[in-house]
Amino acid sequence: MSDASTPAVRLVDVRKTFPGAEGAAVERLSLDVPRGSVVALIGPSGCGKTTSLRMINRLIEPSAGRVEVEGRDTSTVDPIALRLGIGYVIQAVGLFPHRSIADNIAVVPRALGWDRARIASRVAELAELVGLEQDQLQRFPDELSGGQQQRVGVARALAADPPLLLMDEPFGAVDPVVRGRLQQELLALQARLHKTIVLVTHDLDEALLVADRVALLDRGGRLAQYAEPDRLLQEPAEPFVTEFLGADRSLRRLALREVGELSLRDGPVVTRGTDRATARAVLAREGGDWLGITDGVRFLGWVPAAGLAGEGPVPEDDLEAPAALVGPDDTLRAAMDRIMTARTAVAVVVEDGRFRGVVTLELIRRALAEPHTPSPQTPPSPEPSPEGSR
Amino acid sequence: MSGVRLAQAALPRDITLREWLLDGASWTGEGGILPSLVDTLTLFGAVMLVATLLAVPTAAVLAHLGRARLIGAWLVNVGRAVPTFALAALLVPISLRAGYGFEPWPIFTALTLMALPPMYLGTYTAVSGVDRAAVDAARAVGLRGRAVLRQVELPLALSIILTGVRVSAVQVIATEPIRAFLGGDGLGRYVRDGLGQRNTTLIVGGAALVAVLAGLVALALAALQRLLVPRGVRRLQAVGASRDVPA
Amino acid sequence: MSDANPLLRFDYLVDQRAAIVAAVLEHLELTVATVALGLLLAALLAGVALRWRWLRPTISAGTAALYTIPSVALFALLVPSTGLSRSTALIPLVAYTLVVLVSAILDGFDQVPRPVEEAAEALGLTPRRRVLRVRIPLALPVIISGLRVATVTTVGLVTLAAIVGQGGLGRLILDGLRRAFWTPLTVGAVLSIVLALLLDAAFVLLERRLAPWAVRRTARP
Repeated sequence: MSDASTPAVRLVDVRKTFPGAEGAAVERLSLDVPRGSVVALIGPSGCGKTTSLRMINRLIEPSAGRVEVEGRDTSTVDPIALRLGIGYVIQAVGLFPHRSIADNIAVVPRALGWDRARIASRVAELAELVGLEQDQLQRFPDELSGGQQQRVGVARALAADPPLLLMDEPFGAVDPVVRGRLQQELLALQARLHKTIVLVTHDLDEALLVADRVALLDRGGRLAQYAEPDRLLQEPAEPFVTEFLGADRSLRRLALREVGELSLRDGPVVTRGTDRATARAVLAREGGDWLGITDGVRFLGWVPAAGLAGEGPVPEDDLEAPAALVGPDDTLRAAMDRIMTARTAVAVVVEDGRFRGVVTLELIRRALAEPHTPSPQTPPSPEPSPEGSR
Repeated sequence: MSGVRLAQAALPRDITLREWLLDGASWTGEGGILPSLVDTLTLFGAVMLVATLLAVPTAAVLAHLGRARLIGAWLVNVGRAVPTFALAALLVPISLRAGYGFEPWPIFTALTLMALPPMYLGTYTAVSGVDRAAVDAARAVGLRGRAVLRQVELPLALSIILTGVRVSAVQVIATEPIRAFLGGDGLGRYVRDGLGQRNTTLIVGGAALVAVLAGLVALALAALQRLLVPRGVRRLQAVGASRDVPA
Repeated sequence: MSDANPLLRFDYLVDQRAAIVAAVLEHLELTVATVALGLLLAALLAGVALRWRWLRPTISAGTAALYTIPSVALFALLVPSTGLSRSTALIPLVAYTLVVLVSAILDGFDQVPRPVEEAAEALGLTPRRRVLRVRIPLALPVIISGLRVATVTTVGLVTLAAIVGQGGLGRLILDGLRRAFWTPLTVGAVLSIVLALLLDAAFVLLERRLAPWAVRRTARP
């Protein structure tokens, strides 16, 4: 029925008109969602992103066109069976207030007729997965915070281990701090589970952060661009995209790239014991007012240019501690922040205590100017699920 | 001491509804429809006046102060639970023994107690439900407590308060005919007499009179409410009214 | 005079205890029958109003109009057709419960949070399961409080059914009034008041048992 190359979700010329509404809510939308990837649907309100999402599990029936899930035309599948095989998370969470947390998580397994023992162990497993305490399982939803409720919502969606997850503004109802944490948790979860996720959001940062590909829809459900986040930011396909992304598009790109992707250089840095004349030459070549000293492994600190006058090895007695330290996992945006606030105008890259090189503004600028290279990650194939839901 | 009169002077058994209603003598004179109507409306007016004066200011002030929420809710529930007919009946011998006769105290007291809960609840809910922002704004510009109540809370709450009053009024006018079975008269007397004399004309005619009056009162009060409430407020609170005040 | 006819004569209580118990039971029976029939009819009407939305205003207005008909009139109006029978009492009694019960059921369904219904549908619950497992349980607290009002109101109206020869405790009251003998009147009136209050309290307990989540919710600050 489907092989690894079949997209998990495929929309073909899908169109939706609502009775009484002017124009189409979604206009001939075609979109492939590769297996194991996270796709964000984003756009201004009225762009039909939620409508598109809801057509995938037939909460809304398309007026024309075809929706395929795992290679099967959904119009040929019973909607209840279809939905039982697809996880769903909504903004308002929609937990059942009259059921305990454990019962909420167990809704789909129960509807699928699992036995009690299997449900109980699955619930415990999911609670652990999304970070819920065991003693919270017997509470009612109202007794949990918004963030915890949203975790329950995710656990409920994952209960029968569906390969596909639909999320409608999943973190829209929580405050920014909790939202950030939940986004990170989703990324960590996805790194373990390799689900196919289609997510609707109005938050550009969220889309850029969690999605492998972003589908930007214009009003009336026209697909303006469908691309990886970095390509979207670097090569907007049309004025609408440019406008939607905003003037700080380059800054947003910085948030997508990591220090480890840069070809790092040693910069104005010497090992301890180097004589001052050599050190002066290095500083002259690299530019700047500060020279870094390492012991060959660790970065020791900075010496001001004035301290290099005279003869003998570079001084080590009055080193300036490095104010700007970054790791290879930090974003370029974080690196830039630190460079801007450090006296040395250079950020030191350290990995596990070892000196890796330095980052300068020039290096960052050059990295952004490079043509876009597709990220090397190929979507991993889904884990064989031990509890296939069908 | 004699028992309650359950039948008045008998009408001819074969009189038709038409003949009874078209006969001028049915309307005027001793025991006629018009004096009975006046009788009923007088009691209705007195009950509503007293109950409104008791319930609305009390509820408004308590809600304004944020006091007595629980005890008020409890009293409202108990008040609604107590059967009016039973209560009025219970008061009859007490009134008689105190020398006040069958009427009007027992029925007046029972109807007044029946009228209190909807009005109290409506007013309390309405005043305490007034948008906090409006109240804070009023305080912020320097209005004192009483002025806040009079100038902000009451006008905004008016629609729901009137709904409570209207619900009470409809209940009172619909319940008032029981007095005919408690030793009194009023418009309910024809139903009582009809039942006593097995006279279908009186039963149906009397029931119709009572029903028409209740319907007219309900319509008139609905119209009055529309007239009294400014349109902006009405729209604002139309939703709240249906839910918070028991029908 | 007051000695011969006090508000309560204990020898009457003792003599008539069988009749008093029978009156209480009859009163309860009529109340239960009324509320059960009312609930059934209200569920049907509410079902119709939910299924065909455009009928809802008509149904609401219709049941509300029934409620404004004075009880004395409604009891009396049926006498010519059904005589002094149990139906003469039951029909108006049931009619009066409808406004409370229909609007309680509709309000109950209305206040089921939209996201909860949406989640239930999106997760793949069948329409039947969505009604039985989600909508009805969540509507239950409101429906029960409607039942509470309907039951308590009915206890009061059943006393009045005595004017058409029905209704347990009300007959004791009318009998007392007719004979100007206060003991049956006091017994009938006090017992019907007590019955109403007891049933009211019973419903509060029932609500707590059947909707623990709602109670916990309101218990929280």
